[in-house]
Amino acid sequence: MMAPLYEFGRFGDSASLVVAVLLGIAFGWFLEQGGMGNARKLSGQFYFTDLSVLKLMFSAIVTAMLGLFWLSWAGLLDLSRVYVPETFIAPQIVGGLVFGAGFATGGLCPGTSCVAAATGRKDGLALIVGMLAGVFVFGEAFPAIGHFADSTARGAWTLPQAFGLSYGTVVGGVVAVALGAFAGAEWLERRAERPARPMKVVA
Amino acid sequence: MSDVATTAAGQALGTAASSRADAATTTRIRVRRETAPYASPYLAGVGIGVVLLLAFVLMGRGLGASGAFSSVVAAAVNTAAPSHAAGNVFYTRYLSDGAANPLRDWLVLEIIGVVIGGLASAVLAGRMRWTTERGAGITDRRRLANAFVGGTAMGVGAKLARGCTSGLGLTGGATLSVGSWLFVIAAFVGAYAAAPLLRRAWR
Amino acid sequence: MTADARRRPGIERALAAVAVIGGVLAVVAGSPARPTRGSVDVTELARIVEHEEDHVTAVELARWIRDDKPRLRVLDIRADSEFADFHIPGATRVPLAEIARMPLDSAATYVLYSEGGTHAAQGWFLLRARGVKNVFFLRGGLYEWLEQVMNPHVPSTTPQAQRDSIRALTLWFGGKMTVVDSASTVPSAPDRELSAPHKSDARESIRKIRRRAC
Repeated sequence: MMAPLYEFGRFGDSASLVVAVLLGIAFGWFLEQGGMGNARKLSGQFYFTDLSVLKLMFSAIVTAMLGLFWLSWAGLLDLSRVYVPETFIAPQIVGGLVFGAGFATGGLCPGTSCVAAATGRKDGLALIVGMLAGVFVFGEAFPAIGHFADSTARGAWTLPQAFGLSYGTVVGGVVAVALGAFAGAEWLERRAERPARPMKVVA
Repeated sequence: MSDVATTAAGQALGTAASSRADAATTTRIRVRRETAPYASPYLAGVGIGVVLLLAFVLMGRGLGASGAFSSVVAAAVNTAAPSHAAGNVFYTRYLSDGAANPLRDWLVLEIIGVVIGGLASAVLAGRMRWTTERGAGITDRRRLANAFVGGTAMGVGAKLARGCTSGLGLTGGATLSVGSWLFVIAAFVGAYAAAPLLRRAWR
Repeated sequence: MTADARRRPGIERALAAVAVIGGVLAVVAGSPARPTRGSVDVTELARIVEHEEDHVTAVELARWIRDDKPRLRVLDIRADSEFADFHIPGATRVPLAEIARMPLDSAATYVLYSEGGTHAAQGWFLLRARGVKNVFFLRGGLYEWLEQVMNPHVPSTTPQAQRDSIRALTLWFGGKMTVVDSASTVPSAPDRELSAPHKSDARESIRKIRRRAC
């Protein structure tokens, strides 16, 4: 049986929408379990007190990345049918900077804001409204900045292609970087917990 | 009350003030005072990684979030001013010539799932709270304003970059897309740059 | 803040170990699968075709072979039996499906040919989609090779020096040159209208954009 199943016609559009809901439920579940629906916990990342964002994201990336590699290696998954987000160098760097500033200001990202709102957090709701406004502003400005938004396109460019390394080497490299980052995160958190200054501990 | 927390009178006073502030702003909908501890971010991350991998295996695509916001905005603009929407390339991308309801979209359904999953997890863990997550250093209103502004910035940034931390960070991260990794790095840079300006908001 | 999370060091360490094993083995394994997705810059390709930089003439190819051009790979896209009957010296037989999958030499110059040139043009497109830049095809195919190299009919009005050059080339390949009176005309392969590289493969590269970003 070859994956991706949808790409090989195993089920249709309507079923795919059901799949979307189910995957979303699991996604939202784990996000809340990890505390990503709480802006105060999440923002700890940017003050080096609580690096759960880094740990959670990197763990997810490594897990899925290894899964993609090995399923493909085993001949169970056709990697060429898997969607790789396209690269637009300049817009993604600029967009990233703006997004990051907004992330630190809001304390939540688009996905986690929905979790926050679902669990009663008013700041989650405010952020959602803000996002809709931001998208609208962008949409209205699009005729003017569309040219920039479509610039420096590189298509489905992957790290192995960019570095001229084999896919497996990059996979191994990412795992190494992730584990190093986790070790660093643990060290930073331990350092933050030492009472150098009286820290407010909130349960 | 939050002004007390910021005086030089001492952090101890600040702690007491913030508890009072919390009590004043929360209306619990569950009787249980104890909330369950969050899960390990590593395990929650691996859980999300499995969900992400399932998305690849079933659909040939990854998860996302910001795209759902675009569909909502496009649908709203189309309802309010159809001719305006039709003339704007950004909106038409989400409207498919009126053939289908723009809200009948994979990401929209996924986000609905995220809300359900987050809700379920919080209910079972006793973490439902109608409140505003903020530090003692600012007021509720200020926090909500920050959330709105942050959300707007993220809306613009996500559309420029064609994704957010879920779509580019997780999906692009796992598929080793160059632009996605650039986006994530830029987002962290932007966040860490903005964070010092908002320190008071989280303390 | 981190005190609010329940940690399970045992499971976490086990997962980390799995990740390490998975990562190390990945480096060893190298490639998950042969990549089957190609991409093309259609503007650039159109320019190349328009400037006729996509093909070579039979005479050019013959000179490359005779002069032992380094890293030249001549690929025959026809059937086994046809290849066995006759093929351009030095050519290897590679069916189109193999063209899509075969390992590539980035320093090589590929020249594809087929019977008339259509299949070779398709193979050209596939290799371009796979990222190969030094690839050409014989536009007139084997017909052109036979007519221009193996059995050229040269008008008597051609300058002597040029005739000698053509004859030398033909003899080198074991062919025979014939001089004809300018009165008789022989249709030459390059005059035949042949289709441009097929766009059918562009379908595969440019996926249906139903899935929007993220």
